[in-house]
Amino acid sequence: MNESVVEIENLVKYFDGRYVLDGINLKVPRGCIYGLLGRNASGKTTTIRILLGHEPATRGRTFLLGAESTSLSAKVHSRIGYVAEGHNLIQNYKVGRVVKLCKDLSSRWNNKFFKHLIETFRLPMDRRVRELSIGMRAQLNLSLAMAIDPELLILDDPTLGMDTVVRRQFLELAIDVIQQQGRTILFCSHILSDVERIADRIGILTAGKLVVDCPLEELKERIKKLRVIFSQSAPENLHLTEIINQQVQGREMVITVANWNRQKQTILETFKPSSCTEIPMSLEDIFIECTRPSLIPLPAEKEEL
Amino acid sequence: MFTLIKREIEDHIAYFIGAIILSAVLTALLTSAIYYDDPGERPVFVVLSIPVIVVLIIGFASMGVSQMYTDKNRKISAFLSALPVTRGRILTARIITGILAILIVIVPLIITGIFLRRLFAPPIPIFSGLIFDISAPAFLMAFACYCLGLQTGWTSSRITPTLGGLVLTCILVPLILVKGFGTHIKVILILFIVASLIRTWQKFKSTAL
Repeated sequence: MNESVVEIENLVKYFDGRYVLDGINLKVPRGCIYGLLGRNASGKTTTIRILLGHEPATRGRTFLLGAESTSLSAKVHSRIGYVAEGHNLIQNYKVGRVVKLCKDLSSRWNNKFFKHLIETFRLPMDRRVRELSIGMRAQLNLSLAMAIDPELLILDDPTLGMDTVVRRQFLELAIDVIQQQGRTILFCSHILSDVERIADRIGILTAGKLVVDCPLEELKERIKKLRVIFSQSAPENLHLTEIINQQVQGREMVITVANWNRQKQTILETFKPSSCTEIPMSLEDIFIECTRPSLIPLPAEKEEL
Repeated sequence: MFTLIKREIEDHIAYFIGAIILSAVLTALLTSAIYYDDPGERPVFVVLSIPVIVVLIIGFASMGVSQMYTDKNRKISAFLSALPVTRGRILTARIITGILAILIVIVPLIITGIFLRRLFAPPIPIFSGLIFDISAPAFLMAFACYCLGLQTGWTSSRITPTLGGLVLTCILVPLILVKGFGTHIKVILILFIVASLIRTWQKFKSTAL
């Protein structure tokens, strides 16, 4: 369980005059379902592309299944399933031809499972890829990635364009894969309820930095949103560290704090608030709080959980 | 590797059909040149060799361009790289496909040449190395054009490959006409091939897919 299937060491990507990734460090252990979250253009797809060796890094090193991304062999590739954002399939090929190509190139093709997936998704083998809807392309891409029985499955926004029913089918399939021992999934999605349903570890990328990297349960434990009401107007500074977000309106203050503990509670109590209530947070709420451009400048080190 | 070569052939089948047609036409021309051995007619075949060279140059350069351009714009390598295939293998399969297309044109000509030499040429040493002396530079010329096509084709712009092809034609045709198929041209073509293959390999292996 300690063995890292995905490893990123101080990854930096400078592109178009700005840092897309700014010193990312990440380890995904075997058997983990890692949900990598972030707003548009936060660097999720770039991270995945660098991991797969599709894009060169400016600095830093990345490893997949113990092999460096810049020199992944065909043997290592055969253990990785990948569903790309936008579903990179050869558009002018017929579905049958794409399937045959993948089958001929793969050393561990599970034909029985693939047929099951094709029947589940009702994919037409005689149509060209460009004639398929986005949802069908996503299903085909997913089926191809699953058919090689991957040790590591990398999904870059795989449910994009899928309707609710198909999305649910997809998640159930993903759970099937997870149940096979030792399988690891690196999962990017904008649909946070999907991530919340299957991920057991979460990473949040904001402005090229990995601001959160911890188990989902721990994340929910550690980030607290509090509504504090003071008898007089709310103080300007609570002298609390790791405040993610703070909104003041008259006597009321709503703060989101990372690593909430006894010590921070004591500091808050010195301001003698009339009431302090916790606002329950879903993963979506946490994500919004963590990625919202904060009015309060936070020290980069403290920001990281 | 076989699957990748097969895919390249299927995707660029028009070039292979073109190569077969060109080979058939050239074989017919060569045979008729020997059968109707009238010294007064020979300049016609010399004149015909210029469009043949131009067709070879443009044909193989455009094949290289087409392979790389369609790959870049249809993101074929990006898709293949997600499968158990390395970029090195993709490019190697592509180059093998190019060599196969060139051989389709040249091998029938060599075989015809050998037969005709045995039938018609007098048994004197000057004729023994003639077929190799012609076919080796012809192969190198076609392969150099193909390699340059590969190099210029890895772009999203339509202008670069077209200009690259035109410049290549403008350089190679006069060079071959002036220098002939001698040792000098072989050396120049080999250097050309090595340089463009190294550049293509480096570009293809390092750029984002």
